[in-house]
Amino acid sequence: MKMDRRKILTMLGISPALLAGSSAEAAKAGTAAVASNAGPGKITTLNPKGMTLNPKGMPPPSHLSPMAPRQGGLEGKTVYLVDTGFHGGDRYLQQVQGWFNRNMPSVKVEFRRKAGSYPEDDPKLWAEIKEKGHAAIMAIGH
Amino acid sequence: MGIPTAPMVTRAFRELVTLNAAKRGMPRVRTVFTPHPVWGKSAEELRAYVDGPDPVTGKPLMQEAVEALTLPLNEEEKKTGEVTVSVGPATFGPDTADNLQEHYLNNGMTDYLPIILPTEEKVEAMLKGTRHKPDEIVGKMAAGAYPPWQYTVRQVAVNAVMAGARPEYFPTILAIASSGWASIFSSTNSFAFAAVINGPIRDKLEMNYGIGALGPLAQPASPWAPLHVQKGFKAEENVVSLFRGLGIVPGQGARGTGVNENPRYEEQFSDLFSVFTGFFGALVIPDPLIAQSLKERGYDTKEKLAEWLHKNTTQTVKDYKNRNFSYLFEYPRALRGEEPYATWYKLPDDAVIPRWPKADHINIVVAGGQTNAYFQAATMSYGTSISIDKWA
Repeated sequence: MKMDRRKILTMLGISPALLAGSSAEAAKAGTAAVASNAGPGKITTLNPKGMTLNPKGMPPPSHLSPMAPRQGGLEGKTVYLVDTGFHGGDRYLQQVQGWFNRNMPSVKVEFRRKAGSYPEDDPKLWAEIKEKGHAAIMAIGH
Repeated sequence: MGIPTAPMVTRAFRELVTLNAAKRGMPRVRTVFTPHPVWGKSAEELRAYVDGPDPVTGKPLMQEAVEALTLPLNEEEKKTGEVTVSVGPATFGPDTADNLQEHYLNNGMTDYLPIILPTEEKVEAMLKGTRHKPDEIVGKMAAGAYPPWQYTVRQVAVNAVMAGARPEYFPTILAIASSGWASIFSSTNSFAFAAVINGPIRDKLEMNYGIGALGPLAQPASPWAPLHVQKGFKAEENVVSLFRGLGIVPGQGARGTGVNENPRYEEQFSDLFSVFTGFFGALVIPDPLIAQSLKERGYDTKEKLAEWLHKNTTQTVKDYKNRNFSYLFEYPRALRGEEPYATWYKLPDDAVIPRWPKADHINIVVAGGQTNAYFQAATMSYGTSISIDKWA
């Protein structure tokens, strides 16, 4: 039984390159591409052509969604404040509610904590907001 | 929802929000940023956040929020359609080895260690390690909550070459790749992943499961059924099992681990589990010496030991409620009436409850060199077991 950590590590080291560049590409809204730094005539010691292969996987296309149309000012309308459940999000939104009360008293503010833990969907709440609300602020604590 | 909505996010997540919004198809989403953190702040401090500026734009925060909800959309914000993401050319070069190393490093294709440059010849040799076709889709993988990327046998082979693997490792690598589990995960937590290799392949690949064996694990001769047999495979099959969680805690410092004629296992495991969250299970990793000792005390199966650990490593409701992950993940389930969380949250603070709903949240894997009666434990959940033989 040999102690060879390299073998073990190599088996787990496969995913970073498969997904490489995903962050940078998202930042550029899907326009990025990795440019080759190729330059003809350079010294080649790897193989006759000095070429290597791209390790990246195949990203899915992203489908653009338009934002909901804005309908003018908030006066007299209902704004939902949605706490996603992270620490402090509820206490922070209480202060947002206080701001509306002080500065835009005609706005009706409804506070809700989203059901489930933070990554979970809450279609019941979304339906309520769509039916009774005019706008929403979702706050993420931390 | 179809109505104006503005996310209000702490500044620390600016990059993450921007990336995720773009990947989810709304790159121009009107995010308002607030100072970080909001956790642990007084009402006065939070009010100052709200009355102050957005730390990213410098504009009054609430004015920005109101404008995000009311100003008409511009053309960019109304856009629909599909955006394809380029991953660049199929090959890089020609160039020198040093320049190509730099290219992989500078474009996020390494883990910042030198790589084996994946030439066509090396990748072809790697592909001989499997009967599967180079263009076969192996699976999908996502780094966290992002949309997953697909990959072929050939693309996995390129990565395997870069990592320094040999063709005989390739079936194991493909089996892990087919799980769809990424070894990187986008989170504020430092998640950890573990792979347990069972079957004759552990010796064929000369994997270490003796002295100093941790990280990815392979099980040595153990007094109990190996993990892959517990999960329904035959003993002679080669299998990789994956776990994920928050990391491994060494048992050497646990209470009750002093030299005793009669080992105080209950005290040892209770102390080690004291920082564990019920969100993840427990992966207990005893040296064969400890495993044998436990068997001699009547735990002749792993299931029996897991039952005992479940019943004897308890916590008070007060401690349970004060755990970060209980609040984040189990309190919402309690509010929905899910058991046992709903009951646990109704009990008095001094009531005693188990750390996990069921004993099967505890898995046991034996590893070590039989030199010291040590054990370790990971706050990790079992995910899946995959046949390596199917990828040979």
